[in-house]
Amino acid sequence: MRLVLGKIDVLGPSIRRFTLSPVSGVLPVAGAGAHVVLEIPGPGRVWKNAYSIVSTPSSASYEIIVRRVEHSRGGSAWLHDHARVGDVLEVQAPQNLFPPSRTSRRHLLLSAGIGITPFLSYLHVPGLSFEWHHCGKAEDAAAFAALLPETVTLHTGRNTLNLAALLAAQKLDTHLSLCGPESFMDFALAAAEHAGWPGQKIHKESFGGATGGAPFIVHLRRSGQSIHVGAEESLLDAMEAAGLVPPCLCRGGACGECKLPVLEGVVEHHDHYLSSSERAANDAIMTCVSRARTTEITLDF
Amino acid sequence: MTIKSRPIYAPFKLDVTGRVHLVVTNLAEAPVEVEEAVGDVLVWTVKTVAPGVPAPAARNLRPFRSVAELLPQLAVRLAQATVGLRIYAVGSEAFIWDAYNVAMGAGLDGAEVFTHHAGPFVRRVYCTHCRTMIEDVAVTIIPCPVCGAHLFVRDHFSRRLAAFMGVIVDAEVPGEIPAAEALIS
Ligand code: FES
Repeated sequence: MRLVLGKIDVLGPSIRRFTLSPVSGVLPVAGAGAHVVLEIPGPGRVWKNAYSIVSTPSSASYEIIVRRVEHSRGGSAWLHDHARVGDVLEVQAPQNLFPPSRTSRRHLLLSAGIGITPFLSYLHVPGLSFEWHHCGKAEDAAAFAALLPETVTLHTGRNTLNLAALLAAQKLDTHLSLCGPESFMDFALAAAEHAGWPGQKIHKESFGGATGGAPFIVHLRRSGQSIHVGAEESLLDAMEAAGLVPPCLCRGGACGECKLPVLEGVVEHHDHYLSSSERAANDAIMTCVSRARTTEITLDF
Repeated sequence: MTIKSRPIYAPFKLDVTGRVHLVVTNLAEAPVEVEEAVGDVLVWTVKTVAPGVPAPAARNLRPFRSVAELLPQLAVRLAQATVGLRIYAVGSEAFIWDAYNVAMGAGLDGAEVFTHHAGPFVRRVYCTHCRTMIEDVAVTIIPCPVCGAHLFVRDHFSRRLAAFMGVIVDAEVPGEIPAAEALIS
């Protein structure tokens, strides 16, 4: 669908909110946790970036909040530097891979940085019982504070959140939801595992980061193609740029949709979908975030 | 023939991802595998030394007078406990699924509860005719003590009721009742 940029709000030094309205007709309803994929024009290619929808499900337009990522994907840079009110963007219909778990009575929400966004939509869910802690850099404190109700605890200093104690103190009827950059997710997941959380009670979504790295060449056995994956693009992006349509949904290493079998080469895993034993087996890769450790990698696609 | 609704039980094994382990059983003693488990394992049994007098508690061991006393205490414990607890229900199928349902009611996930069948092969039978629960049935055909229907004990197990279905055996030819056999599983 084609959506027009109706409004751009500067929330912080590198955080902006964009309002997207339909060129004509009405938008599909997007429930709490849903995201949209924006197709963002770049030099010689199109960036496909996923952003959580933070507006209420009934609103006439979608609102997304975007952090300008300095050194990785180009899409956020374009939105911050080039996007103008009135620009029309191609947007894929919303998907919801991160709805609040229905089976849980209480939710412990932990987020960091721009991982704040999916939980902002949870605030619209009537009667949701949650405890939310958000961690951010001091420079973003004002932006985050303006977005969060008083019931949410904002941590902007070092070590103000004792994650291990918080995770260990939760009751058995509570589910844990995590969203943030890779380092935060790794840290929180390790702490949760240590406290004895079963994986079934942990829900996670990770956006942004970790798509760049050393360039490599991917050989696709069934498609018969060899593609160069540059330092600034993901494997998924490179495959799409070559005209292929590999499977994907969240584009953030969380849903598992983009998993492809590895035939040769060594994977550098950046996802939060595969278990540690699956990672060690080196027979599958999540193309949206993971890369090759070797200069070449061969996939069954 | 495999019956889908009939649960399959794995042998007892501690889930090492848990921090605290609570074994609940309707038997007087936990099976030997439980005794041999190393780690922070608490055991709740049903054992009396005289009617209404539970056996003495010991380190990590808490005997109850009855299942009727144990299960509500389990609910209390689960409401207070924090994450990291694993529940192992060991004993008759009726008991282990009652305990499982208590755990689900307290908000646990299936991954935090383990069921292990142990002890004699006795079934709780649900009379589909009058809805009476008949405990400790060891044979394939029984009369319902309430409505008098002769029930065939099917392998169909309801986890919600923690009971096997008892269906009328002489529905087609009233009075034609085959001989009962001992249950072997
Ligand atoms: S698209 Fe969801 S994990 Fe890659």
